[in-house]
Amino acid sequence: MTMTRSDPQTAARPGLAETFARRPELVSLCLLVVICVAVAVINPAFLSPGSLIDMGRASVVTGLFALGVFAILAAGGIDVSFTAIAALTMYALTLFVLNVAPGLPMAVILLIAVAGGTVLGAINGWLVHTLRVAALIVTIGTQYLFRGILLAFIGTVWLMELPPQMTAFGKASLLDFTTANGATVTLPWYFLTFPAAAVLTWLIFNRTLMGRAIFATGGNPEVAARLGYDQRTVHLFVFAFAGGLAGLAGIVHVCANRMANPFDLVGTEIGVIAAVVLGGARITGGTGSVFGTVTGVLLITVVNNVLVLVGIPSTWQRVVVGAFILLAAAFFVTRRRKLQPQIRKQAI
Amino acid sequence: MDHPFLELRGIHKRFGGVHALRGVDLTLRAGEAYHLLGENGCGKSTVIKIMSGAHAPSEGEILLDGVRHAALSPIMALQAGIETVYQDLSLLPNLSVAENVALGEQLVGGGGRMLRWLDRGRLGRTAAQALHEVGLEPTRALLATRVSDLPLALRQRVAIARAIAQEARLVIMDEPTTSLTRHEVETLIEVVGRLRAQNVAVLFVTHKLEECYRIGGQAIVFRDGQCVAQGPIAGYSRSELSELMTGREIEARRYRTGAPEGGELLRLEGLGSGEAFQDVSAALHRGEILGITGLSDSGRNELALALAGHRQITEGRVSMDGGPVRLDTPAQSIALGIGYVPEDRLGEGLFIEKSILDNEVPLILDRLLGPLGTIDRSKARAAAQDISAEMTLNTSDIDLPAGALSGGNQQRVLIGRWLSIAPRLLVLHGPTVGVDVGSKDTIYRAIQSMAERGIGLIIVSDDLPELLQNCDRILVMTAGRIAAEVRGDAASEDDIYQAMLASRPEAAE
Repeated sequence: MTMTRSDPQTAARPGLAETFARRPELVSLCLLVVICVAVAVINPAFLSPGSLIDMGRASVVTGLFALGVFAILAAGGIDVSFTAIAALTMYALTLFVLNVAPGLPMAVILLIAVAGGTVLGAINGWLVHTLRVAALIVTIGTQYLFRGILLAFIGTVWLMELPPQMTAFGKASLLDFTTANGATVTLPWYFLTFPAAAVLTWLIFNRTLMGRAIFATGGNPEVAARLGYDQRTVHLFVFAFAGGLAGLAGIVHVCANRMANPFDLVGTEIGVIAAVVLGGARITGGTGSVFGTVTGVLLITVVNNVLVLVGIPSTWQRVVVGAFILLAAAFFVTRRRKLQPQIRKQAI
Repeated sequence: MDHPFLELRGIHKRFGGVHALRGVDLTLRAGEAYHLLGENGCGKSTVIKIMSGAHAPSEGEILLDGVRHAALSPIMALQAGIETVYQDLSLLPNLSVAENVALGEQLVGGGGRMLRWLDRGRLGRTAAQALHEVGLEPTRALLATRVSDLPLALRQRVAIARAIAQEARLVIMDEPTTSLTRHEVETLIEVVGRLRAQNVAVLFVTHKLEECYRIGGQAIVFRDGQCVAQGPIAGYSRSELSELMTGREIEARRYRTGAPEGGELLRLEGLGSGEAFQDVSAALHRGEILGITGLSDSGRNELALALAGHRQITEGRVSMDGGPVRLDTPAQSIALGIGYVPEDRLGEGLFIEKSILDNEVPLILDRLLGPLGTIDRSKARAAAQDISAEMTLNTSDIDLPAGALSGGNQQRVLIGRWLSIAPRLLVLHGPTVGVDVGSKDTIYRAIQSMAERGIGLIIVSDDLPELLQNCDRILVMTAGRIAAEVRGDAASEDDIYQAMLASRPEAAE
């Protein structure tokens, strides 16, 4: 080790390249801007309220999921069961409202969805903590379990007729636009759940001790435990938080699509994790930000929606998303190596 | 009644089959300085982990201000004002300097509850105050720097700043000066003086006796999981302390009786690996035992890893039998007949859940193949029986998992694994760390018999008596270079200590 004298002032003033390496979400933000500009030039219809609102609507469910996944990744875990939590919560709850409590107000339905998801998420957290098994394995298990319970015990029938309050929630308009050809496009109220959840997540991560505890755990769980951050609380919290958001996402999904399909949602988790990773959260934990996560979600949403506008077949979406992830990962890793030359490849 | 701040009574700690602490009684009083001395593996770190709440004792009780506890949790220890600067510093790399220093105050102040608002203003103020006290200018830029971007020398002080950021009553420092320059050591000693003046107890875990004498206070000597002496450090001479630490009266004899055969086996010329070590030149003859020692940051560990092919050699040349060789991967080293027995047996050496048999034969699988290309279990059994017999394992059941063995037997299994390929050079890293006295004897005999068969041996260790008893020559490394070479039959422990502590490099002023 060298004992060179270092000047913290200069050490803390990074150049542009270093800024990118430290805040990889900026790479995704640049990609997002470049894509938006390019698409807008090729096809100005991209900037029409109709197309923007479509994308806004499309981002909500992914966004809610992604904020939860971000919390778990930040703590050094991973979750692939959140889609199953959403599916179980939304279907069971819709069935419950239809058959048992048709008069339940929408606010209560939303609360139950969040509570249900939170309980299922807490089960994940409890298992991860007590079994001390990798979160990936635990949540693969619970994904099958939750989905199996849904399909085996609750139902496999599509519910095409929603309770009226849920239909109304899906339609309730926040903003109306009339497009050039006279049609009306609506930005629904439920869109607000995404920015609201983002603000809540930001508050938790940046303004509470819990947020710092989550990052501490993701940075080095053993050290965090030594310093008094109770690991059980952190694990329970992040998984329950992600579960709660998943429950909300599920019910929003139902209301937006005006039907409840028990086979829905499960299978989309990789796309969500991809969005969070594009947003700069490392799979090894301890990094990431709400801003980055939102950027990642928007990037994925834009790619999924605009390629068609510029004449690229929709089958290419996956190719593009895959290329972006590899690009971002490669960029990030090479920058990091240049910054820290002492990190050498260890012999296997 | 006036209670001492912290008392340990009859503390035992067992990890699986290892009895790390065997009935420790300790009393720590406010405002006093303590030096916890002892060899590696004597239980020093276990005892501080019990005080800081990281481990629960298997038996015994802990009295905090006279109040009895069976065990402490990290948050209880912190609330009581027990702050620890761990040897690994325990900083969170992804958080800022300010957060590392001062988050604990708010966490502990709230009893460990985390669903509370963070007071950023107070965070900055506390951090600035603590950094100032350890002699760092608390600029806005420094406070916001992520610890992973901070130079290592500064990290040490950040870790100390964290310990004093809250109202500490006992500050435990685990090897705090190992990576500090003289100037930084002075700052640390000043900090300790100030803490004691504020009636804070300070517990050092160290092996640098020079600094212990300067700071003064009480010496606590550990050996084999027991406290063997406690008293004012000024009342012990250096040699008394090292005798207490090593218990040398039991193992004073020199094992090395043979002499190297002729013929050079290995030659290192100007070897370097990044910043870890530079310009290392040495030679080893067949049947010779070469010791390498130095402080843990001296580059000795990295040199051992480089010879085993685990670490990239960036400069210089290695030759065996006069011809140049490359040691880029472990496979290359093994093909040349170089074996490496790591210090961390459990993590890097053994397949801990597998049987003794499975642990002894992995290097000779190609010889154990049956007609179908599968492993012939009976051949494997025979081979493993031979190895076990040669290494005098004290169990004949080769199906026992390696994890069930004592440290000494585990080490013999590892050495036996290498013997199976008739190595030409064996690098032993801390061969008797965590091994009891009796097993040490067996291992030393095995080492000597290997040398007599013409195997060249390199022992990397900080157990100085071990090196003096076993080696022909001992190289002392400091700051990545060879600082001295002494003869095993002529040098004393003190000679080596002096060489180790001599040329500490100063920061470029």
